Amino acid sequence: MAEETHDWDKHKKTYWAVGIALFVFTGVTLALGLVPILDLGPPGPTPADFVIGLAVAGTKATLVSLIFMHLNHEKGLIYKTLLFTFLFFVGLMALTLFAGADPIIEQYDTRETTNGKLVEKP
Amino acid sequence: MEIPYEVKPRRDTGLYNAKLGVWLFLASEVMLFGGLFSAYVFLRTGIQDGVDNPWPWGLNVHKGFVWLGFLNTLVLIASSVGVVFAWVALKERNWRKYQIYMYFVVACAVVFMCVKTVEYNSKLNKHHGIKLVDNSVMEGTILEKTDRIRFEGNRAVFGLQGALPAFLKDISDEDFPAFTATVQFKDDEDPQVTEISSESQFKKWFHQNRRTASKKLTAERRRYRAEMEEFGKAAPVSLNTSATVVASEPFQVNAKPTKVVGHSDSSVNYRDGSKVEGKLISDDVKFVMHEVDLQLVLPQKQRDSIIWDVINDESAKQQFFAKQQKHYEEMRDYYEARGETIPEKMLRGHMLNLQTIDHEDHGDHEEHHGEAPHKSEAKHSAGGGHGDHSYITVPRDKIKFMGNHGPRYGNYYALYFTMTALHGLHVVGGALVLLFFTVFGKKLYLKNPEHLANRVEVGGLFWHFVDLIWIFLFPLMYLL
Repeated sequence: MAEETHDWDKHKKTYWAVGIALFVFTGVTLALGLVPILDLGPPGPTPADFVIGLAVAGTKATLVSLIFMHLNHEKGLIYKTLLFTFLFFVGLMALTLFAGADPIIEQYDTRETTNGKLVEKP
Repeated sequence: MEIPYEVKPRRDTGLYNAKLGVWLFLASEVMLFGGLFSAYVFLRTGIQDGVDNPWPWGLNVHKGFVWLGFLNTLVLIASSVGVVFAWVALKERNWRKYQIYMYFVVACAVVFMCVKTVEYNSKLNKHHGIKLVDNSVMEGTILEKTDRIRFEGNRAVFGLQGALPAFLKDISDEDFPAFTATVQFKDDEDPQVTEISSESQFKKWFHQNRRTASKKLTAERRRYRAEMEEFGKAAPVSLNTSATVVASEPFQVNAKPTKVVGHSDSSVNYRDGSKVEGKLISDDVKFVMHEVDLQLVLPQKQRDSIIWDVINDESAKQQFFAKQQKHYEEMRDYYEARGETIPEKMLRGHMLNLQTIDHEDHGDHEEHHGEAPHKSEAKHSAGGGHGDHSYITVPRDKIKFMGNHGPRYGNYYALYFTMTALHGLHVVGGALVLLFFTVFGKKLYLKNPEHLANRVEVGGLFWHFVDLIWIFLFPLMYLL
């Protein structure tokens, strides 16, 4: 690892920057949950909130894995290993598509509904 | 013995062994947590609003604890930064700096786990929910273990096969009564009477008689088989394996409802078949209510829900519907502006159907439930411990389910505890390994600093992974 004997100060600067970015993004995550204006779509957690919330988390995860875990300059074998991990992970997440295929739910759909409005005061 | 490629990378892979090893391990860890994240998505997207147990909105579950979750996120990120700088310090051959950074990382782990303990304690010991028979839910705190059935026993009957009778655990330790125990295995035998004065004596007596019972049963079965072989018919196996204990003076039993099949004014029947006879003191549940959750009650039936009879406070009812109306108007405006109708999901969701209630003491909602001797005392402590709130008395026959916010409270809590506890174990494990490198690393550092640096890099990779999991757990469990 002869090339790694070069100056660590540059690395340190990167690590500090990433650390600060992670703190900032954590603040963003919290704000997305707490500040009403940042609550996209109808009030409460909706798919739009999930997308943006997980996008911020994903950015943080990317920073950690690329910089702190040195995945930005790693040997090929590790990428090959992680490729399989990634594929299996996608497979695991694909399993969740079955959540909508539960046949038991169907019979409940015939229940009484609210007809799109609240019952006004009697 | 010199192990190759601990420091120098192998020529074919370009990696030292431990690094390849830890990445393979992390790959398997992704699968472990991936399965749980997949379960989270599955259970959450599969929920049918108004039919299944509602998914509690993270913000609502955690309230003040969002800040603790946020603090924990910052702590873990700080520790991640710390571990990187510890590694850099080793590369720069600065032992002192390395140690400081590493102790900082371990301290962060300790803080993280302490915060976790506060959170768990609050969920397991301070927050309870009661679901009534029409699926309306009250959130708050059950006072003084009144979820237990308070019973005054004088006699108990139980079997001598299997485990110790369940009522034993429900007798308070201080006043274990003096028992007279009777066993009579056969009608024609003399009953064996034993005096018991402590729990350990009871256990000893029980185990002795259990052995005797099982020996006698074996003998009976042997007799039966022998007679069958010889005569082709036999008297059936008959042995009375039950025992009776009679107390000299009444003893207090606080029966755990999950272990009880049923109870009446004169007896409590446990799931394991044991039965305590005596007098019921009280089976009402005292509950300090903070929230009413009607997500599982159809909107047109909410005004007639039995929850209002139980709370018996008109102002609480008015508060609930006033808040509901306010949120409904907001929602209606939002959807009308877009020319859409409000989706069913939103009408059934927590925005409209879960409201905090400021429940003041009106002093008029307890008389008809009786329980005069205990009331004044309990009321006092309720007033002292919970500010302005006073408790309401919930009759047990109106309760469908009650419990703390532990894993069995619902899918969310089951996942919350599984995932955060598994993550917590990783934090503890990682911190121990890093602490080991800090305390016992000096020898290796003096021998071959690069080797220690590699170890710290590998330990650090694991630590970053633990941080990475939390980065996703925080928004999913606390905010969204």
